[in-house]
Amino acid sequence: MNEWLWFAAGLLLLLAPCGWVAVRGGLMEKQVAVEMAAALTCLILVALAEGFHRSIYADLALVFALMSFVSTLVTLRFLERWV
Amino acid sequence: MVAALWKTVLIDGLLVAAGVVCALSVLGLVAMPNLMDRLHFLGPVTSVAAPLVAGAVVARESLSHAGIMAVLVAVALLALNPIVTQATARADRVRRLGDWRARPDEKVRTP
Repeated sequence: MNEWLWFAAGLLLLLAPCGWVAVRGGLMEKQVAVEMAAALTCLILVALAEGFHRSIYADLALVFALMSFVSTLVTLRFLERWV
Repeated sequence: MVAALWKTVLIDGLLVAAGVVCALSVLGLVAMPNLMDRLHFLGPVTSVAAPLVAGAVVARESLSHAGIMAVLVAVALLALNPIVTQATARADRVRRLGDWRARPDEKVRTP
């Protein structure tokens, strides 16, 4: 267990309060909690890439950042117009 | 030997700082009473913590594949978060008031 894995574990624990806000909050609060969790997940993947010495996880982090951005915009457009 | 120690201290310091920023941001997300206040706490994670983590990776790997990927992730988060934040605030306003534009009875501050 190195410092990168400890950092990733700490950020993983921070996903729990985001999940709590997503469960308890209103519709838009859920969306904000998901956005926070997505940002934290990107950082977790970068830390895991360094902790496990696997560069593919960093590629995954970049793809996840871009895809979560697109999906967030689509979801917000949907929430704005139809729900 | 001393250089390696300083490098380790630098990397650990950057990771601890990033962790503290993330923890405080999540605390703000949980503690704030309304959506607009909660939205503000998305900023520190992407604008402070992400570059700190990228800096730690570059300190360890220099500008290898891993270092460049970490920088790209930080740049992506930094550049895309303001768009997401604005879109979220706009969606909330449209849901509550029907339109994102200022209403006639609202005072709009002009610069």
